[in-house]
Amino acid sequence: MSSSITPARKRLMKDFKRLQEDPPQGIMGAPVENDIMTWHAVIFGPEGTPFEDGAFKLTLTFTEDYPNKAPVVKFVSRVYHPNVYKDGSICLDILQNKWSPTYNITGILTSIQSLLDEPNPNSPANAEAAQLYRENRREYERKVRDCVEESWSSDEEEEEDEDEDGQDGDDDDDGADGDAPDADKPDAAEQ
Amino acid sequence: MKVKVKRKWNVVAVWKWTAPDDSCGICRQAFDGCCPSCHEPGENCPIVFGKCKHCFHMHCILKWLGQPQDECPMCRQTWEFQ
Ligand SMILES: [Zn+2]
Ligand SMILES: [Zn+2]
Ligand SMILES: [Zn+2]
Repeated sequence: MSSSITPARKRLMKDFKRLQEDPPQGIMGAPVENDIMTWHAVIFGPEGTPFEDGAFKLTLTFTEDYPNKAPVVKFVSRVYHPNVYKDGSICLDILQNKWSPTYNITGILTSIQSLLDEPNPNSPANAEAAQLYRENRREYERKVRDCVEESWSSDEEEEEDEDEDGQDGDDDDDGADGDAPDADKPDAAEQ
Repeated sequence: MKVKVKRKWNVVAVWKWTAPDDSCGICRQAFDGCCPSCHEPGENCPIVFGKCKHCFHMHCILKWLGQPQDECPMCRQTWEFQ
């Protein structure tokens, strides 16, 4: 069976192991069930920045060309940032022309996390955010705080929905909480 | 589209892979094994050095070069086989 695992999948397993063994501060990620080519990740806003306390969700979509081609990385949470497009796409050189096949998922997510507080004004994806960042930092930070709050409130709604439906009936939900080593933040916000 | 933070934890499993230091920077497999495209360790999966002293499995660096990059994945100098 192992011989049918493609190079890209082998590499993603390496990345997964690496991320689990040595998770960077404020970064979580894992492949979705039964599909190692699609990952869900959460980046927490760095402390001491306007993004602090935000929990921004992303998807990473890999192809069989990985790591020779970068994955497609998108924010699912709304992120107000000069280098993030409205649809969540990210303008970041290492995901485009500066990609290297030596990057792994840990490196990608860490770079995006540092981009949050270090926007690149030369490649604006959100012109308004770029302008406010330059000319009206107070208003910029207010808008960032809005999306920080949103990043949590959408979770709460979701949880309520699930509880009300009661259709889930899936014991795994609770079990998963206990197993998650770093689940403090999401749990805290849900209460 | 929504990502469920809680659900995410369900997929976390423990993979048994070793991560030695002397591994290829592209595939991250150990140099004492072969690249992920090969199945027989050691055989026909040579390790190659660039002029910049960085080394990779030949199969790994060849897949990267010429599409259309010609840079060393580590240092971004133009790759030349040593
Ligand atoms: Zn290799
Ligand atoms: Zn090989
Ligand atoms: Zn080099």
